Amino acid sequence: MASGETAVSSCKNRGMMRLFNHFQTSLDSKVVVALTGLGLAGFVVFHMLGNLQVFEGAEALNSYAAFLRDMPILLWTTRLGLLSIVALHIGLAIQLTLHNRRARPVAYAVREYRKASLASRTMAVTGSVLLLFIVFHLLHLTAGVVDTSFPDRLDLQGHRDVYGKVVHAFRNPLFVALYLAGQFVLGLHLSHAVSSSLQTLGFEHAALNRLFKAAGPVIALLVVLGNMAIILAVFLGVVRT
Amino acid sequence: MKFTLKIWRQQGPDDKGRFVTYQAHEVSPDMSFLEMLDSVNQGLIVKGEEPVAFEHDCREGICGSCSLVINGVPHGPERGIATCQLYMRRFSDGATITIEPWRARAFPIIKDLVVDRRALDRVMQAGGYISVNTGGAVDGNVVLIGKDQAETAMDAASCIGCGACVAACKNASAMLFVAAKVSHLASLPQGKPERTRRVTAMMEAMDREGFGACGNQYECEAVCPKSISVRFIATLNREYLRAGVVESGAPTVPEAPHAESD
Ligand code: HEM
Ligand code: FES
Repeated sequence: MASGETAVSSCKNRGMMRLFNHFQTSLDSKVVVALTGLGLAGFVVFHMLGNLQVFEGAEALNSYAAFLRDMPILLWTTRLGLLSIVALHIGLAIQLTLHNRRARPVAYAVREYRKASLASRTMAVTGSVLLLFIVFHLLHLTAGVVDTSFPDRLDLQGHRDVYGKVVHAFRNPLFVALYLAGQFVLGLHLSHAVSSSLQTLGFEHAALNRLFKAAGPVIALLVVLGNMAIILAVFLGVVRT
Repeated sequence: MKFTLKIWRQQGPDDKGRFVTYQAHEVSPDMSFLEMLDSVNQGLIVKGEEPVAFEHDCREGICGSCSLVINGVPHGPERGIATCQLYMRRFSDGATITIEPWRARAFPIIKDLVVDRRALDRVMQAGGYISVNTGGAVDGNVVLIGKDQAETAMDAASCIGCGACVAACKNASAMLFVAAKVSHLASLPQGKPERTRRVTAMMEAMDREGFGACGNQYECEAVCPKSISVRFIATLNREYLRAGVVESGAPTVPEAPHAESD
């Protein structure tokens, strides 16, 4: 029987092929999207925690920023690492999204969802907006080309004045609005993504399932609240130069 | 009771298809959904029109033949039942009901509401079986299986293969179906010898048939007439990851105890 042969056909090298050559099934791609996504989620959490030092004043934040930048090898390994993780994540996510769209060429005339959350149904949209936001954010606060009204300058310790830059940025209602919108989209993406990754990686246990389910929304909420605290604290004048 | 029905009509696989509106009069609240359609069809036959084609067999929720998307939900508004177990009393009198076929690239429409679900059979043929030597039947309870394990296997094995999971999934993925089959066999000793090959072959077959990938949205579980849990999808993912590790590490994979050879 031909189909029997499919199952029995030598799979000696299949795993090797899967690991080193190409992704054999959509599930392989999903696993990589989940792993890279969790990596990015981890980054986003630490990014938020690091930035909370804005509440400790200019000196704390600026020396933290200097600490990150002062090790060029570490800085560039991290940057290149993040870049390749992002590239893998986006590349495979787009491929999966197209694969999934092809699977239903004719849409239903009437559609009612019982369980699929809004976040889970909009992963491709929130992901794409997130990409735009990340590019904008890098151009704005890392490269400093969006808003040139605040010159790169040094603080009293001779560190780059990141604190001043952040405060300057979030005094501007336009930037506040853009960043808050970015947080909203990030929150949506993360709220489905983290729990979904755990499922994709096979985490399942009667006693822990509620924890796995809650992980996404909780992490999303913490990240969004932390980041919003910074933005709003500056805007409302709680944090000032 | 009376209803307005918007039913998908399509002459054959190549026809474009369209919705046609019918009136269903004198419907008893105790009619099943399929009986209501039977009576509409009687009316059409009397008028000399082509009756609506829909699939059904057991009409008691065990065969997996019936397959209608009713008001945007596979198997309709009730949970944990198949279309054939749905009664008209569930709808309010005078309501408009939209009836569509399962929609997926892997399920081409044969006629009206009948779709070709052989893709699921081909996924099964790829690995959803155990290879056993024929001969005298094995005595009962020779292989002892713990109650928890047996219950888990039974929960997964309750899949009737209707394809509602595919119909409900935004990505038209057959993941819950494959998960049920893989988990059922992998949780029993008889299924263990072939588990590595099985999960890889079935996942490859699922892609090959044109089903989408799982988005972990769990719409499948919410419409499954047997309420099969999405935790079996996690089990499937684990089986698949295990197979990847085993296959890439092992110098040889043991041959099947009894490979199908003809
Ligand atoms: C801070 C940035 C990001 C984080 C933390 C993140 C995190 C994640 C995680 C954890 C997943 C879960 C994978 C799964 O369902 O198993 C995911 C899925 C996804 N991400 Fe992202 N992501 C980010 C940026 C992006 C960007 C920029 C895009 C697109 C342009 C994107 C597109 C997607 C899509 C389409 C999926 C769903 C894939 C699927 O259907 O399985 N993400 N993301
Ligand atoms: S007709 Fe058999 S399950 Fe509905």
